[in-house]
Parts: sequence; C-alpha cells; structure tokens
Amino acid sequence: MNLERLPNEEKLTLCRKYYFGGFAFLPFLWLVNVVWFFKEAFVKPTYTEQLQIKTYVKCSGLGFLLWVAVLTTWITIFQHFRAEWGEVGDYLSFTIPLGIP
Amino acid sequence: MISVIVVMTIFLVVLYKYRCYKFIHGWLILSSLMMLFWFSFMYLGEVFKTYNLAMDYPTVAMIIWNFGVVGMICIHWKGPLQLQQAYLIAISALMALVFIKYLPEWSAWVILGAISVYDLVAVLCPKGPLRMLVETAQERNEPIFPALIYSSAMIWMVGMANPARHAEPTNQDTGMFCLISAYNPLALTMLRGVKLGLGDFIFYSVLVGKAAATGGDWNTTLACFVAILIGLCLTLLLLAIFKKALPALPISITFGLVFYFSTDNLVRPFMDNLAAHQFYI
Repeated sequence: MNLERLPNEEKLTLCRKYYFGGFAFLPFLWLVNVVWFFKEAFVKPTYTEQLQIKTYVKCSGLGFLLWVAVLTTWITIFQHFRAEWGEVGDYLSFTIPLGIP
Repeated sequence: MISVIVVMTIFLVVLYKYRCYKFIHGWLILSSLMMLFWFSFMYLGEVFKTYNLAMDYPTVAMIIWNFGVVGMICIHWKGPLQLQQAYLIAISALMALVFIKYLPEWSAWVILGAISVYDLVAVLCPKGPLRMLVETAQERNEPIFPALIYSSAMIWMVGMANPARHAEPTNQDTGMFCLISAYNPLALTMLRGVKLGLGDFIFYSVLVGKAAATGGDWNTTLACFVAILIGLCLTLLLLAIFKKALPALPISITFGLVFYFSTDNLVRPFMDNLAAHQFYI
C-alpha cells in the first residue's frame, strides 16, 4: 500500500480510521498512524487536508505516549510488588519465574 | 501429511474455479487469525519461561491484542507495505516453528523433499492444480489474495532502462496474477516487483530451523542459509528468463538439503579434527 498513489481525501479517511481504531485499546495502531503519516503531515508541502491529518497524527501521538506511561507504570508496579501480593499476584501471573527472588 | 497438502490444494483450486470467494476469504481470515493470536501467545509464553521472567495476564493480553489486530488490519486491509511484509514474515516464522516443534525428526526432512517435488509437478505440468489456478486467475484478471503473497516493493526488471518507480498508477492490470495456497509456493513477477508465496517462506524457515536445532554448530546452519539464498537468486533469474509462474521451492530446498547433509557429515568431523589437532588452515 503506497501512500504516494492515493488521492488526498483517501489519505485523510485512512488516517481518520486509524485514529478512531486506536481507541479500542490499540496504542500500537496509533504508533503506526504516527509513523506512517508523519511525512504527510509535517514534511510535505501544504494541501487542503493536511491540517486535519496533522491533528489526527498529533492526537495519535499523544494517545500513544499516554498508553506508554500507563503501561510502564503498571509493569513497574507489578514486577516490584508481585511476590508480596501473594495469591492475587499468582492469579495475575502468566509466567512465574523459578527460584528465589 | 503430503496427502493433506495435496487434497487442500485441489480443494482450493476447485473453490476458486466455482467462485466460492466468500468461503476462501473466510478460511484465510480464520487461519491468519489463529496464527496471529494463538501461536504468538504460545511463543511468547515459551520466551518468557526461557528467560525466567514474570509476566502478568493484563500486559500479555495487551501485547497479543495489539499485535494481532494490527496484523489483521495490515494484511487483510490497508497498511504500510513494510509493516505488512514484516507481519507476513513473522507469521511464516511462527508457522515454521510450529512445524519444527511438533513434527518428528525424519518426517520433516521427508516432507521438505516431497513437497519440492510436488511443487515442481503442480506448477509446471499442464494438468497440475497450481497451473490451472494461474490460468484461471489470468483469464479473470483478478488480484491475488493478500494473505498468501509476499510482495517486495523492489522493481526488478531485466533490460529496462529506467526503473519505473513513479510511473503509471495502475499496476493491477498488467502482469500476471496467480492464486497461491499457503502451502504451495509460486514465484511470479509483475511489472512492479516480485511476488513470492508465503509457503516458500515457511518451508525455507523450516529447513534453516531444523538445521539450527539439530545440526550441531553454526556451520551447518550458515551453509543452509547460504544455500537457500543462492537457490532463491537462481529461481528469480529463471523467472526473469521465462516470465511465467515458477515453483520457488525445488531449487532452494534441494540445495539446502544437499548442503545440510553434506556439511553435517563431511565438514563437521573435518573441522573437529582440525581443532583437536590445533591445525589452522
């Protein structure tokens, strides 16, 4: 799928769909949106739809950073307090490391 | 196993001939779904167990959910080309891992050999199922199912002066199209690059994976890898000469198998002896 060959309205639609899709717990989709449409939004010379694409890319970027912050916090908390939580920790665990922590 | 593959290929051709597109689409989506979610879940579990890391269900759920959904979007709908290629490679690698893990020792080698022969037959013989597939698709002038093909963006043309990277926008009408089952590979050029069936990737990966798992040391693995690459270059060369759909498996797999067994049995004892006697060439 080559962005070059698409007309501007379709680029906007695609960007918009990726943006709304990311609300379904999909920060990776937001990241893809940012990376893929970055050139279109910030590097290319101006065209009519570019302003909207810029907004979507910025919001996707913000959303992605927010999710990164949330996930990092949760992972840090979990890794630190997992042993102390006892049963709840085990219930939440997908893999439990062997040996003495 | 071979009979399963043969039956499924014929089944797919029949479906295509009778225009049961919905069925094919549904089946492809289902199988890629299973691949993306379940196999990657198992793989992730194994990786975490090996490195003795703790991981909780919510994080794993997020990772697999993201990986899977973005994969489905990239492969079956629209997405950046590099990401689509990366996902197709990842799926092929996962599938190859499944094969390597769950197939007994000798079955894998026999299957590799047999499937190269079958590939040769199916693509080149006039009555072969894959040949019929190619011709039917050409008659109908339709694009290929995206989940079965890996297309590189490189423009590989023999004897053309200017690489037409920004030339005509419609590339879907020119060139040849062919439908490929996920298990039987074909190599095919279009005016804008090479399309390789996913089955190719899977079986190359199975070959190298088995070489790495059972071969002993790095020499065997590296030899197999190089052999496959040489085979692929030869296949592409033949493709440029003949300009028809060609089986991509036989040459590479033959080279790979030959290299593997010869390296395993000849080169390794030789190198071990050299090292033991501290004799450097």
